[in-house]
Formats: sequence, C-alpha cells, structure tokens
Amino acid sequence: MRKSKLFLLFLSVMSLTLILACSSETEVKEVVKEVEVMVESPSTLKTVQDRGTLKCGVNDNLTGFGVLTSSGAFEGFDIDYCKAVAAAIFGDASKVEYVPLTASARFEALGSGEIDLLIRNTTWTASRDRDLANDFTATTFYDGQGMMVYADSGYQTIEDMDGATVCVLQGTTTELNLDDRFMSAGLKYTPLTFETNDPLQAAFEEKRCDGWTTDKSGLASKRAEFPASAGGPDSLVVLAETLSKEPLGPLTRDNDSKFYDVVQWVVFGLIQAEESGITSSNVAAMAASPKDPGMARLLGVPYSGGEVSDFQFGVDPTFIQHAIKAVGNYGEIYEKHLSPLGLTRAGSLNALWTDGGLVYAPPFR
Amino acid sequence: MNLFIDKLSKWSRSQRNRNLIYQIIFLVFIGFFVNYLIAKASLLELTLNHFNSRAGFGISHTFLIDYSSNNDRWSAYFTGVINTIRVCLVAIVLATLIGTLMGVARLSKNILFSTIAFLYVEILRNTPLLIQIIFWQIIFLKLPRISEALTLGSTVVISNRGILLPSARAAESNSSNIFLYIILLAIILAFGISYYLNKKEDINGMKLKLFNIGLNGNLTGTLIFFIISVFTYYILQKPYIIDLPSLYQNSKGTFLQSGGFEFSPEFGAILFSLVIYTGTFITEIVRGSIQSLPKGQTEAALSLGLSNYQTMTNIILPQALRSIIPPLTNQFLNLTKNSSLAVVIAYPELFMVSRTIMNNSGRALPVFFLILFTYLSLSLFISVFMNLINRRVTRIGT
Repeated sequence: MRKSKLFLLFLSVMSLTLILACSSETEVKEVVKEVEVMVESPSTLKTVQDRGTLKCGVNDNLTGFGVLTSSGAFEGFDIDYCKAVAAAIFGDASKVEYVPLTASARFEALGSGEIDLLIRNTTWTASRDRDLANDFTATTFYDGQGMMVYADSGYQTIEDMDGATVCVLQGTTTELNLDDRFMSAGLKYTPLTFETNDPLQAAFEEKRCDGWTTDKSGLASKRAEFPASAGGPDSLVVLAETLSKEPLGPLTRDNDSKFYDVVQWVVFGLIQAEESGITSSNVAAMAASPKDPGMARLLGVPYSGGEVSDFQFGVDPTFIQHAIKAVGNYGEIYEKHLSPLGLTRAGSLNALWTDGGLVYAPPFR
Repeated sequence: MNLFIDKLSKWSRSQRNRNLIYQIIFLVFIGFFVNYLIAKASLLELTLNHFNSRAGFGISHTFLIDYSSNNDRWSAYFTGVINTIRVCLVAIVLATLIGTLMGVARLSKNILFSTIAFLYVEILRNTPLLIQIIFWQIIFLKLPRISEALTLGSTVVISNRGILLPSARAAESNSSNIFLYIILLAIILAFGISYYLNKKEDINGMKLKLFNIGLNGNLTGTLIFFIISVFTYYILQKPYIIDLPSLYQNSKGTFLQSGGFEFSPEFGAILFSLVIYTGTFITEIVRGSIQSLPKGQTEAALSLGLSNYQTMTNIILPQALRSIIPPLTNQFLNLTKNSSLAVVIAYPELFMVSRTIMNNSGRALPVFFLILFTYLSLSLFISVFMNLINRRVTRIGT
C-alpha cells in the first residue's frame, strides 16, 4: 500500500513536470519577447547614469592595451577609452568599474548585461557583428596578424620560412589565416596549436617553434615583456608582413543606439581633437577661446559669445572636452601606451588620415 | 451504467490491474516526453554536413592519414582519432608493464625495490594528472635546442623539436602495398604452422625433422616468416627504403630537421604522464591481486624448489591475473578518457581537433555528439576486448 502511494506521488510529480514542459513551448517564446522588450526599452546610457559607474569589460593581461599593474590599477590603450567614455558621461574618468574578461567569455558578458561596454582588443568581423548580440562602434586600432621570429634565425619574409614550426592559438582566425598564407605560397610548415598563451610562450622560449603568430599588437606586447632570461625583446623581430586585417574597437549591445552613439562619438571626438591640435594640456585654454566654430562645436562651448551647439547625445554638450581632459587626444593615448611597445605610428594605418593613415573622424556638425 | 461502475470498481480492486493502469499512464507520459525532446531537437541543426567542407587548418602530428588543410573536416577528425588511438595503445602497453613490475616490486623483500615502488605510487598517484602532463612537457622542452641538436651519425637526431629515428618509407613503386599484404599472410602462415607443430609435439612428442635436425614449432614459424619476407623484399625490388632523419640548415642558416620517425615532445609528454599516472593504479591492482592469493601458493612453489622468479611468473601471476583483469579494464578506460587532457600541450588528439572544428563551424552540439560517440566506441571496444581476455583467463583457471 505504501509503495503504491509513493508511486502515485512520483506519477503526479512526473505528470506536472511534463505538462509544464509541454505547454511551455509557446510561453517561452512570449517570455523571450517580453525580455527582449524589457532589455530594449531602457537605454544603457540611462542605466549607467543612474548607477553612477560604467562597467567596462577589459583585458588584464595584454601590456599596452589592458593590463592590471602591480599597484592594482588598470592601464592601457583600451583602458583609456573606458576612462574617456566615463569622463564623457560623468565628467569623471575614475567612475569606471573594470571587469577583466577572457577572450571566450567576453561576448556573453556583454550580451548578458554583466558589462556595459566591451573594449578588449576585439576584431570587427562580419560574423561577430551579425551573429552575436552586439554592435561595433568604431575602430580605435588597425591591427593585423603578424609573425614574430628570433632575430638570429635570419627570417625576413614568410617565404623564408619553408619547413618552419609555428606556434599559434587554437580555434582562432589566426590559425586559419596562417594556413591560408602558407598554403598559397606553397610552403610546408608545422602548426603547434596551443589552447592558452602560457604553454605557448613556454614552448616559444625554448625555441620549440620558429615563429609565433597572432595580432601584431599582441606580438609587440609579448615582445616588449619577453623575459631577459630567454633573450629579452631584442632577440625577437616581428616580420613586416601583415597576414590579415584585424580592426579593433569598442562594442556595445545590439539596439542600444543612444549609448552606442555616445561611445562612437567619443572615439571620433578624440581623433578630431588630435586633428585640431587639442591636447589634454591645452584643452582648457582652447575651450575658453576656441579658434574656430568647428572647434567650438567639438568642445561644446560658444564661439565668440554665440550659442552652444548641443548635439543632444543625452550627455553634457562638453562631453568631448571632459574626455580629452581625462586621457588626451588619440595621438596622446597612442604615444603613452603603444609607442613604448615599439608600435611605430608614423607611416602605419594608425596615422591620422592627413598623414596618410586610416584614422579619420566624420565631421562634428 | 451502475453495472459498469460496479464492474470497474471490482476490476480495479485487484493490485495487478491497478498496476497495469499506472504503467499505461507512465508509458503515455514517457511518450509525451520523448516526443517533446525530439520536437526540440529537430529545431536545431544536428547534421554533420559541414564536415564535408574544407578543414582549412593544419595539424602538427599526422600518422597513417596523409592530412593537409585542403582535405575535408572528416579527415582532420580522423587524424585526431588516430592520434588518440596511437597514444592510448602505446600508453596501455607501457602502463601495464610498469604497473606489473612495480606491483611485484612493492611486495619484494628487497627494501630498495619496495621503497621505490611505494614512493612511486604514493607520490604520483596523489598529484593531478594535468600537472604531471605540463611537468613532462617542460622536461621535454629542456632537450637541446635545434641549433645544438644531438646527432648520432645520420641515424638519430635529438632536439626539443622531436627525437627523429630511422624508419622505413614506401618507395615510389606500387609494390609496397603488395609487400604489406604478403607480410601479413606470412605472419598468419607462420603462426598457423607453429601452432600445428606444437600441438603435434604435445600429442605424440614428435618433432618435425629436417636434415636430421629436430625443429620445434616456434622456430619453424620464425624461419618461414623470415624466409618469405626476405624473398619478397628482393623479388619486389625493395618496396621499402630506409628513411634517415636529417638535420640541416636552410639558406638563412637556420637549423631545421625532417625525415625519419618522429617522437615529438608533445607525444612524449602525454605518453609519459599517462603511462606513469595510470601505472600507479595498476601497481596497486597487481599488488592487491597478488596479496589476495593464499600464502600457501608461494610456500608450496618454493618448497617444490622453484626459484623466486619461477614462482612469480609460473604460479603467482597467472592466478592473480584472474582478479587483475576486471579492474585493469577500468584503468584502460580511464587512460583513454584522460588522453583528452593532451589539449593543453598542443598534442592534436580527437578532442582538440574537434574543438577547432567546433570553433570554426560554430555548430557545437552535433560535434559534441560525435566526440561522445567516438569516446564511447573506443571505450566499448576496450571493454569487449578485455572481456574476451578475461573469459579466457578465468576459463583456463578452472
């Protein structure tokens, strides 16, 4: 008798679960829709302003771009963009909460709302823009895949590397580009595919591989901190050839146009500032007496006693001014973080468009 | 109507009938549930069609399959499967050897042997396998760099790019396959003849006589195999040639190595760690099985005048084997599954290659099913094989 009661209980629980499971098919879709509507309606800009801090997803292990220093502070090119956006929104660059993320966790962190903004040396590609729930705002750094070899190997081009062993990270676009390049040149090579960077570096230090391939910025960073015991930075060279295009930039969530616009125009503003010759040291003077109406529009100040032109970004019209004050213009950020790595700006894609590069901002008008 | 209810209540009073109702209800719900799962799964794309497209990535270790990135993803996948099987097969054989030796040493009266075996088990069994794998990788990377590679004439090259040994390589002609088939036939023939002769000798105690020299079965088999293979080798005009490893400098003066049979540091690291880690467990299995035998067995054997070695190999181990094999199967299965940890040290086994395919294609679920299915097949194969051995061992005992 007790047995059958237990069985009845089991049956009823079972059936309840099943009924719920079966009926939920249509409900789930409705719930998903509701959630989507809920996510859409309040802009991240509003959320950030209400919260009082900006949650910025960053790298904590890439010197020059985003690194957690021994003093506990985050530092780097990408970090400065987090600061610039925070300064634009709050007028205070310190109101950033940094969230260190791994490469594989970054998109989910943004999609789930764990962070507001992702600035973590992320390449802009069609599939990422389309499949994942995020939007690329602008390119802050034009990167490309490179090849790092030991200087004493004598390798100067990829063509020299017939029969070489190359260390590469598993499951990356880099792995595929590498194969394309060697295949098309008809060269033999052995790829040594690692899951993470640390064993890869260990193998490279022991000269297990002839070359190390990843984004050139990443190579420059790894080269700069290459341990002296293994030969130091001078024992390595990054080959001139670029194997692929890797434009890096900040990402926001899909359908979040207000916040998207702010981030995008902060990036453009810092570029325009460099073009107009506004730096962190002279921005106050420039704001007090702008040289021309264009500069006045950029800094959100009146030109010779006229009206302020407010672009209605949902933040203070002087937001670019705050951003420049906090981190300086594009050139200053580059000089501070990337030049020490040996990433020469002059003549590269990252020079201003007036100097033959690709760094270009649409007009503030 | 009343009659019907009456009948129904009477019918349902029986425990058996009520159970029948419960079972029917239960079955109906199970049916709904399965139907629901199928409906959900059909929304996902579960096919493996994308395995027919170009792989596009290179694999460092290729064995038996001549893989290039132009091949489809299936051949990339099978390259990974073969790499897994290759490391597991070698590791299983070596781990069994080490385990048996250490298991016997553990019970040795010689304090040096038993202490070594004790330390081996206690230290290596109690550290994580992953750490041991990385440890062995570091050790192998400490071999001489290629610019300082050790060479033994032109037969062996030793560097941290890999240890190269001479090997046989098929010559240009098509006869290499024919040669392989003939060798295979010769092996079968040799075994058949030696089995037949041994049996004959067991029955009537007569040896085959050739020119007045008595030949036993094993010797005849070996001779036949040797004669056939040497003759075919020359008749087919040397279908295989010796492939010597070489260490050379390219036009830029950089050292490279190629040719021969390659024993790479990655393969070495995963092999050593699997062998040594699994060996500790096998040691304990062997020790336990030996200790479970009655002491009288050893004493009787020794009193018959058998040496320690004879006692061990002829009396103790054959009996212990019966209780060794079932837990040994478990260890073999563990070893096979643990081989997926090779992903951290860049040994391209099954799991690593499939993860790359997964990343490139973006279709995780069907690839995961394929991985599960492959590991399951490997494990079941080992189980069936070990069960066959087990059946044989237990039957002989009775």
